[in-house]
Amino acid sequence: MIYAIALILAAVSATAGRVLGLILISIVTGWFLSYYAIKSRIFESIYVISMEIFESVPVISFFPIVLLLFVSGIGGSLGVELAVDFLVFTAVVWNIWMGEYQAFKTVPKEMVEVGENYKLTLMEKLQKVYIPFSIPRIAANLFPSVSDGFFYIAVSEVFSVGNKSFQVFGVGSVLYGYISSGNVEMIEVSLIILGLVIVLIIALLREFAKYAVSRYALDTDTPVFRRGRFNIREAARRSGIIALNPLTRLANYNRIRRSRAYTDEYYEPEARKRKRRLIPPAIGIAMLLILAYLAYLIVSSVSLSTWYYLFSVTPDLLMDLLYDYIRVAIIVLVSMFFAIFVGYYFAVNRKAEAVGIPAIQAFSAYPAPIYFPFIFLGLSLSVSSIFGYLTDEAFVLFLGFISTFYYVFYSFWMGVKAMPQEYSELMKNLDLTFTQRMRRVILPATFPYLISGISSTINSAWGGLMIGEYWPDIIGNKTLSVGHGLMKVIDVATNSGNITLAAWASFLFGIVVVFYSFFFTKKMMDLARRKYVAEEGIFSA
Amino acid sequence: MFENKYKVFENIDLTADEGKFIGLVGPSGVGKSTLLRLIGGFLKPSSGTILLEGKPVLKPSPKLVLIHQSIVTFPWMTAIQNVMLSLTPKHLPRDEAREIAARSLETVGLQGFEDLYPKEMSGGMRQRVAIARALAANPTVMLMDEPFAHLDELTAEGIRQDIYNILFNVNFPLKSVIMVSHNLTEVLELADAIYVINGSPATVVARIEVNLPRPRNPKQPDFDRYLDTLYNYLTVRRRPQ
Repeated sequence: MIYAIALILAAVSATAGRVLGLILISIVTGWFLSYYAIKSRIFESIYVISMEIFESVPVISFFPIVLLLFVSGIGGSLGVELAVDFLVFTAVVWNIWMGEYQAFKTVPKEMVEVGENYKLTLMEKLQKVYIPFSIPRIAANLFPSVSDGFFYIAVSEVFSVGNKSFQVFGVGSVLYGYISSGNVEMIEVSLIILGLVIVLIIALLREFAKYAVSRYALDTDTPVFRRGRFNIREAARRSGIIALNPLTRLANYNRIRRSRAYTDEYYEPEARKRKRRLIPPAIGIAMLLILAYLAYLIVSSVSLSTWYYLFSVTPDLLMDLLYDYIRVAIIVLVSMFFAIFVGYYFAVNRKAEAVGIPAIQAFSAYPAPIYFPFIFLGLSLSVSSIFGYLTDEAFVLFLGFISTFYYVFYSFWMGVKAMPQEYSELMKNLDLTFTQRMRRVILPATFPYLISGISSTINSAWGGLMIGEYWPDIIGNKTLSVGHGLMKVIDVATNSGNITLAAWASFLFGIVVVFYSFFFTKKMMDLARRKYVAEEGIFSA
Repeated sequence: MFENKYKVFENIDLTADEGKFIGLVGPSGVGKSTLLRLIGGFLKPSSGTILLEGKPVLKPSPKLVLIHQSIVTFPWMTAIQNVMLSLTPKHLPRDEAREIAARSLETVGLQGFEDLYPKEMSGGMRQRVAIARALAANPTVMLMDEPFAHLDELTAEGIRQDIYNILFNVNFPLKSVIMVSHNLTEVLELADAIYVINGSPATVVARIEVNLPRPRNPKQPDFDRYLDTLYNYLTVRRRPQ
């Protein structure tokens, strides 16, 4: 028993170590990339577009291909380990890189000028100005990144492609062993230990977030609340939230961008300056070339007959994708409903918030794929008596919901908290009902937050669908499977070793998701920035 | 009283009579805005009561409408939609609500600007929208928390000259106004009576009846005398308890 517990502890530590270590790598690399991005327009364009694309394509959909590349390229357990690490890295990195980029982009002009005035070196500027400024944003982004990291590591530690099974040491693989041998006691112990470690990590992150806000957030970010002299503590708390909020600063995005055109013109030799300026675009172009070369390798390695086959199945795949979009829409609607009612309740009720928010943060970090099979086992009969032949569909939607509701919930809650204090007073003053408050004030005021949360929820919902739509041997010999769905096609193709079809389906999916991201999410974000920035409604000289 | 038992006010007794514009002045940080929010029902006093026409004020209501120091408009609504917001709880037909809102805007001098968004307006115009919105709610008392603090001096002067007549317009049932300000000239230009609060815990140190003819002008001979009186009350050092 003691040996088993030690094994579980080691496994949980290995899993948590992978997640936290990869987050740390993301943070450090993000600082340098973000700095280069704000210094070079070319690199910035490539960097931001790449982040937007990769952020919107669920990593799990291309995992089989990545796994094969690593296994065939590097081989052995190191290849599998690196594949798993790569998957988790791609799950956590975009969010953190984007946060750091936005923070660097919005460093106040005055701070940049001070750095330039004293001729700080690159490392000094990073150390004294940019990195401290990005800390609150990183602290805020750590919560979803940890959730994403645990979610994906839980499903990647044990993975099958065709008749080959791959695994690395971690709680996922240890738990898989206990499930296979039917060791219920150890399954429970594993779940409890994992839960405790996640609660501990969330508690530490919350402490770090509080510290980050108290030490690194700027007062000047909160011109609206500083005037509210009647409740200093409240104002300080809100300033923390608004300092974590990227959208507030994005309102000033263009102004700061323009002002950064001012650069150090004195003392530095022109040739050296020119050389330095060439580095970031060179990195950007190199990244593009590597991507183009990889694409060429893939296309040229596929025979003509295979291309015919892939084109012939494309209409069916698109229809399957439509089914999945309907599922995603349902998950998003339910998540929004939850967010609006529970999020608002927490935002206006401090006692409920003090308990509810940490609980939801810990719950969302606890990877759904680990405990979902037990929910499936426990509720199968009762759910089937309600939903009949749609039982599996209901379970898949539920899995999608629990693995993704957090994003829209958290965004909405943060939006309500960051709403100007004056709006809250005015709503009370005019005696508006709940519906009137929502319709006239709260939903418009939180619109930018909602769009950002909905976008993340949609992106993450695909991960839940990918796992749930076809889950052979979910527990015992039971299989969870839906009738139609592109994620199911990818799952089945991967399981049967038809990597070509899986890759093509993933590719089509990626294209649709990117188009959706550009033509819907981006337009909505533009609208949000143009019309629904609540802070612009508060005028102060 | 704060949670840490720090007493903010002691022996505060204010009266705002019908048809009177009441000024509330005090040093920075003394609790003027807090007092205004207590009067409005936004905060609950740990002891004592606030009465409106003899009935206790227990929560915020449109009868005691607050005008904020930072000018509050909703950027996704036009000027008239901003004003119509205060008519929402009444569930009036849309046309009727629009008509009342238009009348309020006209009263504050914004006829013809109904369909502008706040972003398209100056600070002064935005504050007029906020005042129109408050008037449309048909309040009994209007609470103003340094309403001109974020306007440039010329704009503020312009609104100050209009405000008394706007507020006590016969078309509105407004009975009293309580305005907090640290700008003594501004308070003297507008108020019929001025309460001076000072000390820690803060208390009312004086009520000054202002008997200057309207329209008032800082160049009037007695204006400086009132200013000196106010200044003296504000600079008296009171030992914290």
